[in-house]
Amino acid sequence: MSKEAQQWGSRLGVILAVAGSAVGLGNFLRFPGQAVQNGGGAFMVPYFLALVLLGIPIGWAEWTMARYGGRKGFHSAPGVLGVVGRGRAMRTLGGLGVLVPLVVCMYYVLIESWCLQYFFRYAFGQMDLGADPAGFVDRSKAVFVAVTGSDQDGVTLNGGIHPTVIFWLVTMALNLFFIWRGLSRGIERFCNIAMPLMAVCAIVVLARVLTLGTPDPAHPERSVLAGLGFMWNPDFSKLGDFKTWLAAAGQVFFSLSVGFGVILNYASYLRKKDDVVLSGLTASSTNELFEVGFGGLITIPAAFVFLGASGAIGGTFGLGFNTLPVVFEHMGPFGRFIGATWFFMLFLAAITSSLSMLQPVAAFVEEALGLPRRASVPIVGGVVMLGSLWVIYFSKNLVALDTMDFWVGTTGIFLLATIQSIAFAWVFGVDRGLAEAHVGAHIRIPGVYRFVLKYVTPVYLLVVFIGFCVQNLPGYIRGLAEDHVARRSLWVILFVAAVIAVVSSLGARRWRAAGLDLDGKEPPND
Amino acid sequence: MTLGGWVFMIGSVLGVLAVVVYCYWKVLTLPKDGP
Repeated sequence: MSKEAQQWGSRLGVILAVAGSAVGLGNFLRFPGQAVQNGGGAFMVPYFLALVLLGIPIGWAEWTMARYGGRKGFHSAPGVLGVVGRGRAMRTLGGLGVLVPLVVCMYYVLIESWCLQYFFRYAFGQMDLGADPAGFVDRSKAVFVAVTGSDQDGVTLNGGIHPTVIFWLVTMALNLFFIWRGLSRGIERFCNIAMPLMAVCAIVVLARVLTLGTPDPAHPERSVLAGLGFMWNPDFSKLGDFKTWLAAAGQVFFSLSVGFGVILNYASYLRKKDDVVLSGLTASSTNELFEVGFGGLITIPAAFVFLGASGAIGGTFGLGFNTLPVVFEHMGPFGRFIGATWFFMLFLAAITSSLSMLQPVAAFVEEALGLPRRASVPIVGGVVMLGSLWVIYFSKNLVALDTMDFWVGTTGIFLLATIQSIAFAWVFGVDRGLAEAHVGAHIRIPGVYRFVLKYVTPVYLLVVFIGFCVQNLPGYIRGLAEDHVARRSLWVILFVAAVIAVVSSLGARRWRAAGLDLDGKEPPND
Repeated sequence: MTLGGWVFMIGSVLGVLAVVVYCYWKVLTLPKDGP
């Protein structure tokens, strides 16, 4: 158990912290790309279905299980799932709830530092794409390669001190500072400022984008309205494609931060009578506001008006770090301010997420080994930095990052969410789970969710997971055979997983010696 | 932009906004007793 009792300061505090965890780069960069490539407005049909049948119910289950586990004295995923899942098997599987945030943090903090570096480049006029608009795209790509070292391994760690390393160190220091300060004085206080600030930045950029009109006289067809149409005009034929449904479910799923081990920790600090239903819905809907309301209206139209249809299609990194700098360059002098605002907003989105990943790992170390925060933070910080250095060094084509993202940041999350879904509905029991969710609840979960949680959500999740595996596993397994960096990165993951299993086992011994009901045999006595 | 585009865009954005406003109105008007 952790020696220092941690608690949220307010209802709004925990909501903004969970929302901050959920809102990330994907809201602004991944969602728009996924929508455009999978039917535009029609994408919202499978998207909202997945939100209602998958994302929100799993979120409610996580909030509920976490609060229950917290009442039994557990704040780590192994502890919580061991209690809820009644035994060692679930406790062991709960190790995923530490592995996922820990490994994801190793590369996420790096991406976060790229956002900070881009913000500084814009803020201090160092984002120079040249004078010739025809060269903007190539110059933008060159800047990205220089920042990330994606053309060659080790380039950012060779010779002198590379700016990328400096920004990474600053970003790590900021993260560890807020984690050090703890839940209420650190994470909550920061999120209370960062979330509204993020919204203000998004509104500023949105206002600029929606007032762009038709900026290029040579291309009168590239208007903001046409850009919004490119994003939102429905192509219903895509609804007959399983890939569309897979993409929508995947997007909802990753966007809401379920299956990350984050909510399992954050909500464990709630008290018995603290609401989880309204809080869970509020956090989820806040995420959707940033995704649909901002991401859905900014990114694609901005890219379209300057670059046309072909320029407006891309993945997260392509859109965020290659295309948008070109867009801001086309905006003229004011584009620099908008670029700075945009990347500052992305940095805030990223850091509220990375804090949420560090916290559950710190809580696990404290709880399993009986350490105070002043010990857990250096340990967790050290491990994350080592992993991050691995990703920084093996930067060619971002293979290390991509490998960790696939096996842990994607597959691992699917696995954990499936485990949680089954634990809640089938092991803990859906009736018991819903009764537990309704303790202190300020709104009621609709009765149909008894059926949804027990049958629809697990099946929907499994179908999506299997579809995801069929679509992606062969390629990544081939990648392991062909690329030694991918292979070694997987070994790093397996090593970290083994360490977590050992620490978890040590923790179980401590918890049993302390008389804690780690297998959930008794009801909470609060 | 087609009619369908307007419908999906306005519907999605306003739908999300409505839920957000409802949730925060409920959260902020509850008695202050912590989470």
